[in-house]
Amino acid sequence: MLVDLARGALLVVAAYLVIGLLVAVPYLTFGIGRTDASAKTAPWTFRVIVLPGLVALWPWVLRLWIRPGRPH
Amino acid sequence: MSVSYSAIGWNRAKKAYDKVIVTGLLVYLAFFIGVSLLAHPDATIETLLIRALATAAFLMLHVILSIGPLCRLNPSFLPLLYNRRHLGVTMFLTALAHAVFAIVQFHAQGNENPLVSLLTTGTGFQTLGAAALVIFFLMAATSHDFWLANLGPRVWKTLHMGVYFAYALIVMHVALGALHSEAHPVLAIATGAGMAWLFTLHVVAALRERAGDRDDELIDDGWIDAGPVVDISEGRARIVSAGERIAVFRYDGKISAVSNVCRHQYGPLGEGRVIDGCITCPWHGYQYLPGNGRSPAPFTEKVATYDVRVVGGRAYVHSKANAPGTPVKPAHA
Repeated sequence: MLVDLARGALLVVAAYLVIGLLVAVPYLTFGIGRTDASAKTAPWTFRVIVLPGLVALWPWVLRLWIRPGRPH
Repeated sequence: MSVSYSAIGWNRAKKAYDKVIVTGLLVYLAFFIGVSLLAHPDATIETLLIRALATAAFLMLHVILSIGPLCRLNPSFLPLLYNRRHLGVTMFLTALAHAVFAIVQFHAQGNENPLVSLLTTGTGFQTLGAAALVIFFLMAATSHDFWLANLGPRVWKTLHMGVYFAYALIVMHVALGALHSEAHPVLAIATGAGMAWLFTLHVVAALRERAGDRDDELIDDGWIDAGPVVDISEGRARIVSAGERIAVFRYDGKISAVSNVCRHQYGPLGEGRVIDGCITCPWHGYQYLPGNGRSPAPFTEKVATYDVRVVGGRAYVHSKANAPGTPVKPAHA
């Protein structure tokens, strides 16, 4: 029972991260310069540094991409 | 403060800081493994490495949690705060290395998925450690200024306050794991001492801050007496409180007041100085013009300003905040 629960939870986490990657890579390629001007001319190493966070917080990234604007 | 992001905002001071962190970590790991080998000559190197990484990360977590209150008690600790995020990322990577070695050593030998094995065996202490590691990951992954700008200071700060919850998880991880199987009392004593140190430090810092937080007296129509102008050092501020903290700066024969809260990481602007005509946050050097609370171009950060006046050699500030970035005519000191 516990093993099944753990397997299920890990599957959900894996699916979440795959979706995160599918959102993060196009956002880094096409979206980030439009939603944040300071990222437009940033080097590729910057994009590597922020990638894990973009994958983990992809719902936030989607929201940012669809409705740009800095929060206060 | 930068117009374009860089991967890591290194300068000479930060590089020196990072060298100290990495050297300190390597020396600690070598020392721990050396001493442990003397005490337990039959211990395997894998086990010693797992323990060395775990104690190093736990120790770093204590340092990280101590820096904030230490800075509130004594500004000479501020250089430690300046680069705390690098220490946090190093702590996460050390904890991650501990987790990877532990999973390979204890969960990768059977037929079951190692992560399933991790979550379903033992006293549950591994699950607590894994949960703390997820929080540390989120903090490390969002430590870049890009995240501060795009999550907003409030959400970013709330997310990073999760470190206290992660600390509680780690204490339980240690109590149900290492302390459960360790007969020698040294780890239990060290863990208890660490908790007592952090608790005392935070209480003392909070009490000190609270003592200075009593609302200053409103004299009439919302004006607050900020005291004699001559008591405010040139280029420095006096912090007054009217629900919100207000930093009243004296500079170039003038008096201006802005919110005490920096837009970057909520640093205490009133503990900073006026440098090159700009109020400069003591934490990370973010700057604002005293007359309008705006960062000099091309930067776009803004803090609230307050109306000021000087009567009979005393500075007065109005308790009602103007919208961030609103120009206010300085009073003559």
